[in-house]
Amino acid sequence: MSEHDTPAVKIADDPAFKLPTYLSSLSMPLCIGGVAVLLIGWACGSFVSAKFGMSAYLTAFMFCLTIVLGSLFFVMIQHLVRAGWSVVVRRIAELYMVMVIPLGVLFLPVLATLLFGNGTLYNWDDPTYAEKNFLPLTIWTEKIRWLNQGWFTLRAIFYFAIWSALAIWYFRQSVEQDETGEKAVSDRMQYWSGPAIMAFCGATSFAAFDWVMSLAPMWFSTMFGVYVFAGSVLAAHCTICITSFTLQRMGALRDEVTVEHYHDLGKFIFGFVFFWSYIAFSQYMLIWYGNIPEETHWIFERQLGAWGWIGIILILFHWALPFLGTMSRHVRRNAPLITFWAVYLLIMHYVDLYWMIMPEAGSSMGGFFGVISSLFCVVGMTSVMVGLVLRVADQTKIAAVRDPRLQESLAFENI
Amino acid sequence: MSENNEKKVHGIVAEYTSVDSLLNACRRVRDAGYKKTDAFAPFAVHGIEKALGIKPTVLPWIVFGCGAVGTIVGLTMQIWMNSIDYPYIISGKPMISLPAFIPVAYELTILFAAFGAFFGMWALNGLPKFSNPIFTDPRFDRVTDDRFFLYIDAKDEQFDETGVRQLFGDTGTEYIQTVVDDDSSSKVPKGFFVAWAAVIGISVIPVLVVLKMRLTKSSLPRFHVFFDMDFSPAKDAQQTSTLFADGRAMRPDVAGTVARGDMLIDMDYMTGIDMEALTQVDARRAERLVRSFADPLSQQEDGQPPSVDTEETSAPSKKSTEETEGQEEATGEAEPAVESTAPAAEPSVMDTTPWLTKNPLELNRELLERGQTYFGIYCSVCHGLNGGGNGLVNRRAQKILATNWIPPSKLNQPTLAQDVYPDGKLFNTISNGIRKMPGYAAQITTRDRWAIVAYVRALQQSQNASIDEVPAEEQEAILKQQAEVKMQLEEQTAAEAAQDNAKPGDN
Repeated sequence: MSEHDTPAVKIADDPAFKLPTYLSSLSMPLCIGGVAVLLIGWACGSFVSAKFGMSAYLTAFMFCLTIVLGSLFFVMIQHLVRAGWSVVVRRIAELYMVMVIPLGVLFLPVLATLLFGNGTLYNWDDPTYAEKNFLPLTIWTEKIRWLNQGWFTLRAIFYFAIWSALAIWYFRQSVEQDETGEKAVSDRMQYWSGPAIMAFCGATSFAAFDWVMSLAPMWFSTMFGVYVFAGSVLAAHCTICITSFTLQRMGALRDEVTVEHYHDLGKFIFGFVFFWSYIAFSQYMLIWYGNIPEETHWIFERQLGAWGWIGIILILFHWALPFLGTMSRHVRRNAPLITFWAVYLLIMHYVDLYWMIMPEAGSSMGGFFGVISSLFCVVGMTSVMVGLVLRVADQTKIAAVRDPRLQESLAFENI
Repeated sequence: MSENNEKKVHGIVAEYTSVDSLLNACRRVRDAGYKKTDAFAPFAVHGIEKALGIKPTVLPWIVFGCGAVGTIVGLTMQIWMNSIDYPYIISGKPMISLPAFIPVAYELTILFAAFGAFFGMWALNGLPKFSNPIFTDPRFDRVTDDRFFLYIDAKDEQFDETGVRQLFGDTGTEYIQTVVDDDSSSKVPKGFFVAWAAVIGISVIPVLVVLKMRLTKSSLPRFHVFFDMDFSPAKDAQQTSTLFADGRAMRPDVAGTVARGDMLIDMDYMTGIDMEALTQVDARRAERLVRSFADPLSQQEDGQPPSVDTEETSAPSKKSTEETEGQEEATGEAEPAVESTAPAAEPSVMDTTPWLTKNPLELNRELLERGQTYFGIYCSVCHGLNGGGNGLVNRRAQKILATNWIPPSKLNQPTLAQDVYPDGKLFNTISNGIRKMPGYAAQITTRDRWAIVAYVRALQQSQNASIDEVPAEEQEAILKQQAEVKMQLEEQTAAEAAQDNAKPGDN
């Protein structure tokens, strides 16, 4: 039913669905090198201050986690709306979403810092913090009812339990379908996607409050979870775009992922660039207009010195430039171009997280060692994640080969 | 057929039974070079615009342009309204504060873009179009169900009836029909006009009612659509309320409230009194003073106003008022009031207060200019711009011969000089008032009151100064200015005299 001839569905064992050998050979070096670089980055940061090192680590961790959670959300929302177009790229998101398990391991250093440090990363963990900063004790006693080591750890376990359960279940079902091709599997995944998304959103929002917002324990913004989520979904779409482009370059999925799929990914990237800006501005404007010192201080600190410049960079280069850049249909239908924008936006996503987290580690960017530390941490952590993704991908197919809607996805066309 | 030939031919339509045959036919027609073509299907067909060779629409550019116009209109409208046409400070934000303007600009962007998309689409498609000759063919009705149609317009440059029929014949269609003029009646049913007129008639009624209300007079009270918007239940300043025990609608500040930026716990600075010294002279008064600043409410509950000098100035001021009034009646002249109250102003047995003798602020040009500004706003109306005691209010009082008017002090009189009337005392007078002059602590910030003190000192010096005190390089300019003013004054008097002389002559 279209202008193009519909490509035939290849058999499941076709080399197009296998991870290219060059990429699978990269898995080990990426993992080992990534850990090494991550450690160097953390060490450089600790050279500035223990807090800086852990903050750089947390920024890198949040960068990977937001990609992973965005991918998990991508998979669930495709099932929820029974999307046909995305079947050829859904497995890529599925590979990223199971990385929530290794990221749970990578969260242990953060927990360890909390349990054995003394306010090293989270200020509220310092028993003298309220006294030193003349905080009103009536508020503080209520705050530490929620922000204390035991309850914080328990919540972290709870979040990872929810995410891991969802990720593993959806991954297992999808891989099972690779063998059986049963339609019942798709129905089952769709049936559970509604409650799954609700559980996911609750966990993600509270994780953002716990892990990022509580760095400034007296500050609060109920929108903060949505703010992190907006960047997260944007990052996931960018990652899927980059990964499928790389796979195609390496020879896999050549006929499966077409310009139509890039067009749709591009539309979502465009949409989420604006959604992120919308949420970021809404959060800013309410605080700006209310002008209550309890709320404004977080933004005020981020308008001083280098942070102020980073804030302006976010407005111009996380919103204005990519908004105009990805607006045109011609850009979105050009795979290399939209992949360029995806890489660009991932970098800006890191800058966004940096702007959220690092100002709490000190009043400056930490000089030479600070910048090196931030860069090494994120490069190292991302390498570990990508290495593990390749390892999992090597053991499975890189597309949902027997999905009942695969034909629909292959034939998909934008008007 | 012969009948058809007499009518105008609009084009030729062919029917297909499947999407694929329609798409194939489209490609054939496109490749044959036809431009004015159209395809009809019961549902949207992917890729049909490519099969028909339809160029991408310019609609996105129209939408983008309209959206950009929306942004600009939104921003300029708000900037114009809020900061140029009717400047109005809201929440203490700047007149042009972009964050507040963005939501409206954003909504207008979307609104204009949506209008651009909607009306642009209509314009590009030549809508609204109430009828199409193709509808005359009853077979065409099935296009909403299970048939597909391809149409070539007669206005196409290549159009030739036999050629088109041949081309359609080759595409495997079973039905080809020439589309001719619709010969059904073009008369619009009468009921339509009646309904239309009724709608217009009804819609005029509200306008007429409004016009009647605007243009006629009525003795009936106004009709309040939103009663609580016309009569807000909110209380105004100074009104009473049954809600609070003290019966006041205005709520006093919570105990210990300090205005932002006023968090100075320097009692010397806030009272103009050397508190260390006062504690030794009169500990109870010092304690009361501190209490009055720390918790104004407790003072009010005691029935004492939170004034600094309840002891000294209240008693003499009463006396001085009487004295001045008597004096004024006797002389009928504006007499400096302070001279009569000299006992209060001079360091005397009564005034044991250890006033600060020096302004606690650093004296510089900026501070003096600040003092000048605030002197001009608050003090000059009575005391005059030069402090000579002859401000506008005083002149008016003299003119109407106000009986209970106490002329304001000449600020340059010797009894107010720095050595006899310390800076702290002057500050206290500005803050809490003296005789009929009210206190200005509520209107002017502490810092600005000290700035006024500094400026008053400068005024005193300037009024009693001689030319030799001015730096040598500026003397010449001042002398020149003086001469000019003198000349102008002389000219003025001469002109007035001439006028006076001329007037009787006219009569």
